[in-house]
Amino acid sequence: MSTLRLRHITLGYPGRPLFEDAEIDLIGGRCVLLCGANGTGKSSLLRVISGLHRPQCIRLLGLEGAGIRTVCADLRRRVTYLHQHPYAFRGTVSANVAYGLPSGLDAVARRMRLAEALHWAGLAHLAHADATRLSCGERQRMALARAWARPSPFLLLDEPTANLDRESRERTLALLEALLAGGRGLLIATHDAHHFPGLDSTCLEIERRRLCLALPGTDRRVTDGTPRASGGGT
Amino acid sequence: MESLTEASTRALILLFSGDAELWGIIGVSFRVSLTAVLLATPVALMVAAALAFIRFPGRRLAVSVLNTLLAVPAVVVGLSLYLLLSRHGPLGEWRLLFTQSAMVLGQIALSLPIIAAMGHAALQDTDPRAWETARTLGAGPVRALLTLMSEVRYALLAAVIAGFGRIIAEVGSAMMLGGNILNYTRNITTAIALETSRGAFAQGIALGGVLLVLAFALNTGLHWFQGRSRLDPKYLT
Repeated sequence: MSTLRLRHITLGYPGRPLFEDAEIDLIGGRCVLLCGANGTGKSSLLRVISGLHRPQCIRLLGLEGAGIRTVCADLRRRVTYLHQHPYAFRGTVSANVAYGLPSGLDAVARRMRLAEALHWAGLAHLAHADATRLSCGERQRMALARAWARPSPFLLLDEPTANLDRESRERTLALLEALLAGGRGLLIATHDAHHFPGLDSTCLEIERRRLCLALPGTDRRVTDGTPRASGGGT
Repeated sequence: MESLTEASTRALILLFSGDAELWGIIGVSFRVSLTAVLLATPVALMVAAALAFIRFPGRRLAVSVLNTLLAVPAVVVGLSLYLLLSRHGPLGEWRLLFTQSAMVLGQIALSLPIIAAMGHAALQDTDPRAWETARTLGAGPVRALLTLMSEVRYALLAAVIAGFGRIIAEVGSAMMLGGNILNYTRNITTAIALETSRGAFAQGIALGGVLLVLAFALNTGLHWFQGRSRLDPKYLT
């Protein structure tokens, strides 16, 4: 089972500290919801955990003594990040999904993996469509297919169901459940945990620049060994 | 002195009769300018990317210098390189003065700033999500940069075409560094200058016509490459 245990995450901008000594554990097949109001730094934290944004400090268990650059490189290898509004490269949906395929695959394996990814996300009929002209829901599913095609054990999603109608939201939730069932670990940033009904998850809140488990009632599954985060003094 | 009508008629005859001297001059222009733009483009794009994505001390100054270089007249570039390449200059041993290579050097110096400045503007304008998406999908920095360039490829192509447009039509540096030697360094613009000074306008008009047709072809090509706008006018109200 893949695990990602991050400690001492310190992040902030001049005059605006966001996180201080925060820690978080992610486990394959488990989902963590990162809840917090707008502007609390959810997206910034997701970028840090994806290795896309260099924090002031971060430690990765299993990679003790490594510098921030090494940790970020390791995180980029193991984590895929999905924007709230996923970016579509110019070109077809197929080309976008194929972007994240591992470079070691031969042509036949690439084609098969691509076809599987498109089918998995229900996008086979849009394979040759212009990716920049997709609807919000289709674009979200394309981003999920792109992430699915890349064999990274963890997926970080920023408000994946915001701006989606009910049908698109349900399709996206079904794909998220499929990812969990496939053993991927998910960390989802949201301003409202109720947007993810039925998703077996642990809920974290940002409090005093640290992460802590949400109050009982909103925390739907907290047992030993499940994804957790501690806030030190909280 | 012949009238404009007579000169234009003779110009057309020269062009369509396949006049060897005239087409030789056109060939020199294209060979020199295409070589220059092909050599300048990779360097200019690297400069553009460095200015857009790498934070280093003096970056703003470098951008200002680059933008200033856009306004440097071709004759000043010609004069500077002339002094460097002349027999007693620091690069005199290369014996490049009055060769096509010297013209290429001058045209690289003229096209590089325009391609780099326009490329910098295009790259700086890219959506940050494009870089992050490429990186999070496993692309290394080089592949991610190539992806970004592909995202703004039409703007970069416009930069290259603008650079080519500047050097194919410049006369100052080509005249000073090439020396306007027939069948060797005489290109379209130096030939027009010479023929006009001699009062023989037919060849000048023919060559000017070639430049105009070229400008039209380049712009048409660019428009064709750009394809449809993302904003479809068919549905605009």
